[in-house]
Amino acid sequence: MNSLRRARPLLGTLVEIGARGVRASQASIDTAFAAIGEVQSQLSRFDPRSDIGRFNASPRGTRIKVGVHAATVLSAARELHDASSGLFDVSLGSGPCAWQLDATTLIKCHDGVRLDLGGIAKGHAVDLAIEVLRSNGCEAGWVNAGGDLRVFGDAPMPLDLRDEINGGVRRFGVLRDGAFATSHFGEGARSRAVDSPWPVHGHVSVVAPRCLWADALTKVVAISGNARHSLLLRWEASAWLH
Amino acid sequence: MRFTPATAAVAFAVAPSAAFAVDYLDADQAVKLMFPDADHVESRELTLDAAQLKQLATHGVQARSVRWPVRVVQRGGASLGVVVVDDVVGKFELITYAVGIDVDGAVKQVEILSYRESHGQEIRLPAWRRQFVGKTAASPLHVGDDISSISGATLSCTHVTDGVKRIVAVVHLARREGKLP
Repeated sequence: MNSLRRARPLLGTLVEIGARGVRASQASIDTAFAAIGEVQSQLSRFDPRSDIGRFNASPRGTRIKVGVHAATVLSAARELHDASSGLFDVSLGSGPCAWQLDATTLIKCHDGVRLDLGGIAKGHAVDLAIEVLRSNGCEAGWVNAGGDLRVFGDAPMPLDLRDEINGGVRRFGVLRDGAFATSHFGEGARSRAVDSPWPVHGHVSVVAPRCLWADALTKVVAISGNARHSLLLRWEASAWLH
Repeated sequence: MRFTPATAAVAFAVAPSAAFAVDYLDADQAVKLMFPDADHVESRELTLDAAQLKQLATHGVQARSVRWPVRVVQRGGASLGVVVVDDVVGKFELITYAVGIDVDGAVKQVEILSYRESHGQEIRLPAWRRQFVGKTAASPLHVGDDISSISGATLSCTHVTDGVKRIVAVVHLARREGKLP
């Protein structure tokens, strides 16, 4: 029974990958990191060569052939946008309907529309890395991309809450075979408002089977201010404001 | 999927509790991981003089230290690259990491060796950013442009990014002056 744990700086944060089982190996972890690196290089809006970088720099009418990661994440983003009546918007207000995805072709309909997958793609990267570990025969494992995390197999992950004022931690719960994402909203937070100010000032956590949905649904909860939003059920998710 | 809540939600950030202090690799293991073909590792210490520090500063790099321990990795007497181990301090955390640089000066790999945190881990970073791999002294390493500090988390990754950039610049300078193969 092997047990390995590695961390690398990726996705603008520290990504930790753990793997257990007789077939868990450095190679399986390397492959999982490589998958995350691939998502980053295709979706980073800071990389002008990425699918998103090229889209953002293009004029209206451009048709861009995108990779499988952009197609997957953008189609999920569109689905959540429509289901949430526009609350979830990867254009951050620059043109929610000004981009179209036709299979793997991304079409830019207005000059000003810019895409930012920061609110969903990290979750996809975590899901992908988990699939790599599984397909490499790992019996259990986890991927934690700076708070967007997922765990599978016999590897229960304890989650604690940190008291940022007084210090110390308190047990929040234990996660098994699922994903968990936390986003921070409010003044000074990274997650930006579409219709500022959002009702939530603090942290939103979502548990769901897949990390892509956990990650993205934190934004729906934050914008709606509703930790019991009806959409949560659709992706078997639960949310907390804290 | 199962989530077993422990208590009612309270006003704190969430962190996996096992992550307060983690040792991932030691320096020798990191060297082996980055350069599996190596048959010899030679430890050297680079000492930067005032002129060199100034030269780095003109490229926007604060060398932080005049002494830089470097592992020169070889196979059959030929250099494969170098590995530099460094620490950065964030708001709550101390991160030890290793940077492998190949003979062309490009970052081959960055591995976190250990992570220490005083109370809980909450590293949520804004930005997607470019990968380190393939970056040379000529390509600026930046975390995204819209970063604001979150729970000290932003700091730690920014510091790793800055640290990698510093190491790339120091190794580049040492090579140019013939102090490293």
